[in-house]
Amino acid sequence: MNKKIWIGLGVIALVIFWGIGSRNSMATSDQEVKASWANVQSAYQRRSDLIPNLVKTVQGVANFEKSTLTAVIQARASATQMKLDAKDLSPENLQKFQAAQSSLSGALSRLLVVTENYPQLRATENFSELQAQLEGTENRIKEERDRFNTSVKNYNSIIVTFPSNLIASFSGFAEKGFFQAEAGSEKAPEVNFDEKK
Amino acid sequence: MGNRVWLYIGLILINLQVFGQDIPAKPNGYVLDQAGLMKSDEVQQLEQKLRGYADTTSTQFAIVLVPTIGNSDPYDYAIAIGKTWGVGQKDKNNGVVILVSMNNRKIRIVTGRGIEDVLPDATCKRIINRILKPYFKRGDYYGGLDVATTEMMQRASGQFQSEGSTDSEGIPVVVIIVLVFVVLTLINAYRNRNGGSGPGSHGGGMFFPPVFFGGGGFDRGGSSGGGGFDFGGFGGGDFGGGGAGGDF
Repeated sequence: MNKKIWIGLGVIALVIFWGIGSRNSMATSDQEVKASWANVQSAYQRRSDLIPNLVKTVQGVANFEKSTLTAVIQARASATQMKLDAKDLSPENLQKFQAAQSSLSGALSRLLVVTENYPQLRATENFSELQAQLEGTENRIKEERDRFNTSVKNYNSIIVTFPSNLIASFSGFAEKGFFQAEAGSEKAPEVNFDEKK
Repeated sequence: MGNRVWLYIGLILINLQVFGQDIPAKPNGYVLDQAGLMKSDEVQQLEQKLRGYADTTSTQFAIVLVPTIGNSDPYDYAIAIGKTWGVGQKDKNNGVVILVSMNNRKIRIVTGRGIEDVLPDATCKRIINRILKPYFKRGDYYGGLDVATTEMMQRASGQFQSEGSTDSEGIPVVVIIVLVFVVLTLINAYRNRNGGSGPGSHGGGMFFPPVFFGGGGFDRGGSSGGGGFDFGGFGGGDFGGGGAGGDF
């Protein structure tokens, strides 16, 4: 009789300890995701900071095609408006964030294609270095996104597997979103800028 | 759900693509000239320079000249080298990889996360445009790499020090071993002179098993002797996408 009560209490204690341990590992992994998210954001920020410089350089060239330039400026504005806090990294939010950033990527790559018609611009050292910087930020973005995805993968696998998913739903740890591999990222996304003029 | 499975598969494939690239095996030094663009004494000279710099500042350069990189992107190829070999120190990420590929005449510099501040992308680009390109066009690969590394070293100097507080134990051990070795050798020599072939010399000999003589030849290659130190090795540095590329 007494023995059974003790065994029961022992089992409950074990379950509680397991629950605490499991919750703590979720919290740790959640922190890792947040840290890598911060790096993703600063990589995007870095790109955003380069754009005014690029615009200035390109504008200096006589009769540069204006429409690609305004497309970049607009895409940058909407991409910087799209702030995503580390607290709400749900798959839907992340998808929106990615969409905003990739329309900026598209506008930028179109601009770089157009610059090929301006050999006098491409010959300048300033432009060549600017282009190297842009390339560097794109590489950094790629790097940070990969790292972010890895940390989310760790986190999600804790959150969704049984039985720790019980603890997760209990303490409000929700699944987080990935960066999707961009299907045909060479193909610039369709942006209609006539609409906004 | 099915979507996610595909995403995982995609991620795995991407990883395989990056790290499955046919990059050269980790060499026993900082310079690897598979394309045979430099004379052996030039390689030696460059190697000594980079080794000296790595010893004093802990910043590591890897110079890799290959005949071809296949279909890979120069950036992916160079960063795979940096990450797989671990160029730079683990806690400082102060490695630099300079890749030269002959088939498509590409130059690619990648910088470790810790050294991006002193060697920003624009600077790397400038070094490629102003130094590497003109030298390489003349066929003077050693000259270009020598001047370029000097320029980069000057910029990186003062940023890192070899004997930081954390790894101060690492080097003294080597120093102590060398000192003990030198002292014992002196004692041995002294005894030999005094004792001739007497019992003293035998006593002294016990301090020096043959292994010590094999490994202690102080040749710069270093790795030949009794499992000694292989050029210090790369330190496990990480890369975050910095650097620049160009053609020549």
